[in-house]
Amino acid sequence: MTRFLTSEDVRRANAHVIEVEEGTIVTAQAQDTAREAGIVIKHRSGSSYAEPAPSRGPDASLAQRSLPHLPEPPMEGELQSFTGVVVTAAGRNRPGVLAEITAAIASTQASILDISQKVVEGYFHIVLMVELPPGSGFAQMKSTLECMGGPDDYVVRVMHERVFRFMHRV
Amino acid sequence: MPFTDREILETVRMIELETLDIRTITLGINLLDCADPDPESACEKIYTKIVQHARNLQAVGRSISEDYGIPIVNKRIATTPISFVAAASATDDLVPFARALDAAAKECGVDFIGGFTAYVHKGFTHSDDALFRSIPRALKETAHVCSSVSLGTTKAGINMNAVARFSDVILETARLTADQGGLGCAKLVCFCNAVEDNPFVAGAHIGTGEPETVVNVGVSGPGVVRAAIAKLGPEPDLLAVAEIVKRTAFKITRMGELVGREAARRLDTTFGIVDISLAPTPAAGDSVSDILELIGVDRTGAPGTTAALALLTDAVKKGGAMASSSVGGLSGAFIPVSEDAGMIEAVRVGALSLAKLEAMTSVCSVGLDMVAVPGDTSAATLTGIIADEMAIGMVNAKTTAVRIIPVPGKGPGETVEWGGLLGTAIVQDPGKFSCGVLHRRGGRIPAPIQSYKN
Repeated sequence: MTRFLTSEDVRRANAHVIEVEEGTIVTAQAQDTAREAGIVIKHRSGSSYAEPAPSRGPDASLAQRSLPHLPEPPMEGELQSFTGVVVTAAGRNRPGVLAEITAAIASTQASILDISQKVVEGYFHIVLMVELPPGSGFAQMKSTLECMGGPDDYVVRVMHERVFRFMHRV
Repeated sequence: MPFTDREILETVRMIELETLDIRTITLGINLLDCADPDPESACEKIYTKIVQHARNLQAVGRSISEDYGIPIVNKRIATTPISFVAAASATDDLVPFARALDAAAKECGVDFIGGFTAYVHKGFTHSDDALFRSIPRALKETAHVCSSVSLGTTKAGINMNAVARFSDVILETARLTADQGGLGCAKLVCFCNAVEDNPFVAGAHIGTGEPETVVNVGVSGPGVVRAAIAKLGPEPDLLAVAEIVKRTAFKITRMGELVGREAARRLDTTFGIVDISLAPTPAAGDSVSDILELIGVDRTGAPGTTAALALLTDAVKKGGAMASSSVGGLSGAFIPVSEDAGMIEAVRVGALSLAKLEAMTSVCSVGLDMVAVPGDTSAATLTGIIADEMAIGMVNAKTTAVRIIPVPGKGPGETVEWGGLLGTAIVQDPGKFSCGVLHRRGGRIPAPIQSYKN
């Protein structure tokens, strides 16, 4: 059961110091009322009031325990333990495109595990399976690669491999 | 390569070109513990609790979107019906409660918050009565609040007193927002068999069986389904069409399942449901009407439309059911007239009438949605339109809804531009006959015999 302290509670308390139980939520309006009247709100333990973390409910902790066990579509073959990103690039073919993209990936210290490229009627598409180096972030890979190319040139997209596993495997 | 080139490029194409997106992540928050005899204190608690829970919703949505490369278009909030929360408060004016919801939504950076809601399918409590009286002003004075009411269920029948009152509420809301083309009514919907976990507005709210907090995901992709049928071409038979829609819906729903699990993990809460609804937008290619026409009707609204929509809705549900064990909400195909460029065109050329739309609602997943009617439409006619829709839902044990906008100052065939996601509407003609005696009788249409299942 959530406990609140409202501005009406502050007015009724008629005290210079109001002590609240741990877990009590003091409304924003109550904090304003207290501040204007010079009233101090603190926990019974003596510490100044701090908003508690939201209590998501009795089911939330059960849900957090069971979420990791929900079956996920498997990865097959040699890349069974792969947890990386899929980089796709597509656009007008010209000399140097593959070199540019692989150089950019190399600059992030990532490792290319597999690569596929096709050119059809002057347009290319490249798919790379990329393992991120330990400690390196997806966001950095994404920002490094997705600004490459341009209109009339090519487009690069970086997506987590989990997207493809969820969509294409049962 | 663990995935074929075809699979990888298919996913990228769906997102980049075919407008596959997560339409909404909706955080549901129970507000029953915000009840207070002092209405001002209740509103303080409502504001504080919503902000406490939802202040990081935008950031979490963005982080999932960035990490997975899937657009998450909207982040929204749904609450316990306010008529329950306000019941302990000594007031007949619930507009301050709407303002509290509105302020909380604004603080959290969400565009819509659903929950200014009452269940009156069997009758009114004092609090329900207060909510009904407050809806028009609440929708005029707030920007983000959506309101919904339950007027009937298969178990309870249809509360025709409530339907008649709701017609007056719609007209008053339109009148108060006349300067915006009656836009208040676009945030107002009534249901038969309302669902308690719908993540889409205007009907989003958290029903009585839901947990303290929950995240529900609405995934959409009419453009993806459209592209798949276009690629199939006109030669294969309808079984082949159903099969391709089902397979495509599977893939779309898998995105919702992934995002739902991630959102629950990052928000530290329960994963509720994935609502797989093909929800069109005015953007080119993002149209349910286009899908129906590719299935094979000359124009949406022509003979064959209801059958095509039945095939589509069913195939979407089947594909979704395989993709996730948590399919819920409305799940199917939406037909919001003003939000679908193809529907607007079908109305404009005279192919799609109000009567045909009503027939279509018997097989799709929502109801009469974003339908504009003349500003001088009588309350009796609105009662008739709503009662018809409620009857379809009640007898067929499905959810139906009405989101109807009587546009002040406009007549049949005239255009009203609301802009953004709400789109453009052409005012439709409900006909010159009405149902004055039915409207004035009131009472209840009793629950149908098929509901006696014990």
